[in-house]
Amino acid sequence: MNLSWSAAWALARRGLDWRFKGLRLLLVCLVLGTAALSAIGTLTGAIERELATRGREMLGADLEFTLAARPPSAEERAAIAGMGELSEGARLQAMARVPGDETRTTPVELKAVDAKWPLYGRFTLEGGKVAGAPEGMAAWIAPGVADRLGVKVGNKLRVGEAELVVGGVIGSEPDRLAEGFSLGPTVIVSKAALDASKLVQPGSMVRSKLRLKLPAGADAVALGERVKAQFPLAGYEVRTRDKASPGLDRFVSRMGQFLVLVALAALAIAGIGIGNGVNSYLEARRGSIATLKILGASSRDIARIYLLQLAAAASLAILGGMVIGVSITPLIGKALQGLLPIEAGFVLDWGALAIAAAYGALIALTFAAPPLARAKAFPAMALMRARVSPLAGNWKGAALPVALGLGGIVALAVLTAPQKLLAGGFLGGAAMLFLLLSALGWGLQRLAARLPRPKGAIARMALANLHRPGAQTSALVVALGFGLAAFVLLAGVQTSLDGNIALRVPTRAPDYFVLDLPQGKTGEFDRIVQRAAPDAAVRKVPALRGSIVAYGPAEAMTRVADLKEIPDNAWPLRGDRGLTYADDVPEGNVLTAGEWWPKDYSGEPLVSVDDDLREALGLKLGDRIAVSILGVERSARIASFRRIDWENMGFNYVLVFSPNAIADAPHNLAATISLPESAKTPEVRRAILGGLVKALPSSSVIEIGPVLGQAREILSQMGTAILAAASVAILAGMAVLAGAIAAARERKTYDNVILRVLGASRRQLLVLLVAEYGLLSALLAGVALMLGTGVAWGVIVLLFEFDWLPDWPRILGVLGAGVALVMVLAIAGSVGLLRTRPAQVLREL
Amino acid sequence: MTSSPLSSSSAPVIAASALTLSLGSGEAQVQILRGIDLMVGAGETLALLGPSGSGKSSLLAILSGLERASGGSLNVAGADFTALDEDGLAAARRGRIGIVLQAFHLLPTMTALENVATPLELAGQADAMARAEAELVAVGLGHRLHHYPAQLSGGEQQRVAIARALAPSPAILFADEPTGNLDHATGEAVADLLFSRAAQAGATFIMVTHDEALAARCRRIVRLADGQIASDRPS
Repeated sequence: MNLSWSAAWALARRGLDWRFKGLRLLLVCLVLGTAALSAIGTLTGAIERELATRGREMLGADLEFTLAARPPSAEERAAIAGMGELSEGARLQAMARVPGDETRTTPVELKAVDAKWPLYGRFTLEGGKVAGAPEGMAAWIAPGVADRLGVKVGNKLRVGEAELVVGGVIGSEPDRLAEGFSLGPTVIVSKAALDASKLVQPGSMVRSKLRLKLPAGADAVALGERVKAQFPLAGYEVRTRDKASPGLDRFVSRMGQFLVLVALAALAIAGIGIGNGVNSYLEARRGSIATLKILGASSRDIARIYLLQLAAAASLAILGGMVIGVSITPLIGKALQGLLPIEAGFVLDWGALAIAAAYGALIALTFAAPPLARAKAFPAMALMRARVSPLAGNWKGAALPVALGLGGIVALAVLTAPQKLLAGGFLGGAAMLFLLLSALGWGLQRLAARLPRPKGAIARMALANLHRPGAQTSALVVALGFGLAAFVLLAGVQTSLDGNIALRVPTRAPDYFVLDLPQGKTGEFDRIVQRAAPDAAVRKVPALRGSIVAYGPAEAMTRVADLKEIPDNAWPLRGDRGLTYADDVPEGNVLTAGEWWPKDYSGEPLVSVDDDLREALGLKLGDRIAVSILGVERSARIASFRRIDWENMGFNYVLVFSPNAIADAPHNLAATISLPESAKTPEVRRAILGGLVKALPSSSVIEIGPVLGQAREILSQMGTAILAAASVAILAGMAVLAGAIAAARERKTYDNVILRVLGASRRQLLVLLVAEYGLLSALLAGVALMLGTGVAWGVIVLLFEFDWLPDWPRILGVLGAGVALVMVLAIAGSVGLLRTRPAQVLREL
Repeated sequence: MTSSPLSSSSAPVIAASALTLSLGSGEAQVQILRGIDLMVGAGETLALLGPSGSGKSSLLAILSGLERASGGSLNVAGADFTALDEDGLAAARRGRIGIVLQAFHLLPTMTALENVATPLELAGQADAMARAEAELVAVGLGHRLHHYPAQLSGGEQQRVAIARALAPSPAILFADEPTGNLDHATGEAVADLLFSRAAQAGATFIMVTHDEALAARCRRIVRLADGQIASDRPS
């Protein structure tokens, strides 16, 4: 007869120490793993739901058509308006200034909307008042405009030639996230105010938006395709509510993938800690298990009693992990607000919590099964002898629960992760690593056993400790391997992110960008700059916008509209791009193939193409590229390829045409102003800004410093999010290291006490400890370096598509710190033991 | 003398034939027992004597079902121990066999009462706590029911172990050096208790000891040397 579950629980409860002595490693690891999974699950679930349910609000429409540099033709407008309820608007870069004080200016993003805006979502002003489009010359301004210009409601504001009145400060703009990166805070005006500003001229960088509310059941994608097919040269960029913000979707999806990886990594590392925790817990209770067996407990009784104890601890840990996970989600949400569409506040995602709990339970079952099976299966006397004659593994008894647990984890990962292949692949990789490290531990043990015995007693014992029966070498190798690799991973990711921020936010940049500089006003522009700063370097280039519509050999050009998917790295094919023409090779560019056209060239239209685009599209010299500018298709032959120095934040164009190819299209110029160090004074800046804004009201003058700051901020916010997530792996790694060392210490207690009885000094024991852990850490540091940098490379390069820019001295420093942590943990854990009188411990053994 | 009288006519409760035990494997294999033949009648008191390493504790472990013999046959209280697996041996021990060990082996997380009640609970007895309390009172520990092992002296711990072994009223009581961890006076008192409680319970009593005087209190003494029975005679 076996014990009933209730009787087993009565015995289990007696054996449970409610301070969870001996079970703390299991608790910490399980809490960490479950907390990470709960937080990540809740977060990604919230983001996905937000994107799915608020896609329409974020886009402000079911379907949106964007046109560069021109308003839609009457025919286009009529075709689009016939599909549903149309709201028309425009967006362009402009300068806002305070009338009468030309020093108070700021670049803004001018957004003109009609009376139907917003088609979806709620626009509110500060204070919570719900509003629609502003009327007449009223403007809704973003808080940034109010701050920079020092204006408030009722004050006047000039944009272009229009004099606006601040009608309110923007509180919440429903379609903000889908608008993407902007060079200034928003000013929302009516169509009438935009017309009054006279900023929309032929060639100005305006983006016209036609937004549609479709009747129920209408197929947004099909309607979008229909318009593109009907007006193939119009250059419409189409977005549907499902893909409100492709850039955001990409980041969210990569972040989601990364978070899944982090959660699975935390889980895998925590699993090792849980296994070690259960192992040492049952080791410590070996005497009790033996006694219960002596008293007639069957192996099933033993399994039930200890399973219930572990289940009680695991349940509490899982619950604690879920509470922590839910509690930290709002903090993460707050940190990522503005970057990701996350609502602040507590979110209870029962599905995500259930998945986290299921993972926690499965991982506990999987890793607890082998030590439990071993304790269950061995005869009482073997358990009692185990201190001097360790028990062999009992894989037979553990095979079924381990297989069930692993199967459950894989099934859960594959069924619930949005990126099934990634999750499956990662788990497979983690299992391989686990096996590899276990094999390494086994090999190390075998090697240590075969090495000649060193002469010194301490060295001999340090070596013997690696291979003696019952040595924890394999468990330590796995824990140190994973734990130290987590340190390297974090350092690799962090230093690469820092490197990318440094690389992508250039230090060499002009001081001002000037957009929409009319061709006829260049003389005036030059005079103002020269007067304020005679040594300033000014560069002007023609600025047009257009989209690539076709490319390839003349006789078989590929139409972009026919592509099912944009090829990798061919981002210039997406939407409209900046285009220019030039007589000479642009500054900072190097020709890699072909020839540049001579000055005043008047033959067949030519174009020079960026090397990266050549590679992405497989282009050859002599192939053709067709672009649509203001609805007119223009084709040019590829005369050369160029390498562009993207690090130089100047004018970098993927396509540079020969002047005769596109110069006849209406367009303005763009200019950069670089000030010498001596001229970077507030007076000079005021003179330039004030002079330009007054003389060229339709141009936008953008000071680069704050823009770079904004870019840096966005990148470092992304970096912080990535690092915060990766830190979970570090925490789990540290817990595992501490646990593995604690477990090994339990085993060493007996040896150390005997050595003390035999006359070993504390110093000798300490040297023994340092020698043993030093040897292991040194070996594992190499493995962890390869492992950690490998995974970090994958995260940076494959997942986030950043450049791999590790800072090796810092990585090695962090790895060194990890090794030092191992030593400190090992020594700190043994200090108590070294101080204890042997007789005291012997009595307890 | 408190041991029960030898009854040669009674059926043996233990019948062991050609028992062997070896531990380890390959070059490290050690032969612990080398063919033990032993018959023990119901109600007998028997001491296993011998020098260290002679195999007496190992023999007791096999006879009590704590260890499985490598060879030979063993029938204990009607059960073929050589045919039973670990769980079969546990079931065979439950309620039939009581064991007292030199190191007490009390469960440190349980009180004295809970320790004694555990084998009764494992055997599914409903009145486990009441019987455990009665047994503790009988060994003179009625005032220590709710003390943990760490709060008890060595002698008291061994008395709890005796109460625990006898609580299920076993047919056979085994004791391995039951006084080995105790001082002389406490050891005497524990031995008295052990013999008297075994007699009261009518249990067959088999004890491993190296103490000749203690062994002499048994009706029969079996001496072991080098894993074999060197002599088997009444005391």
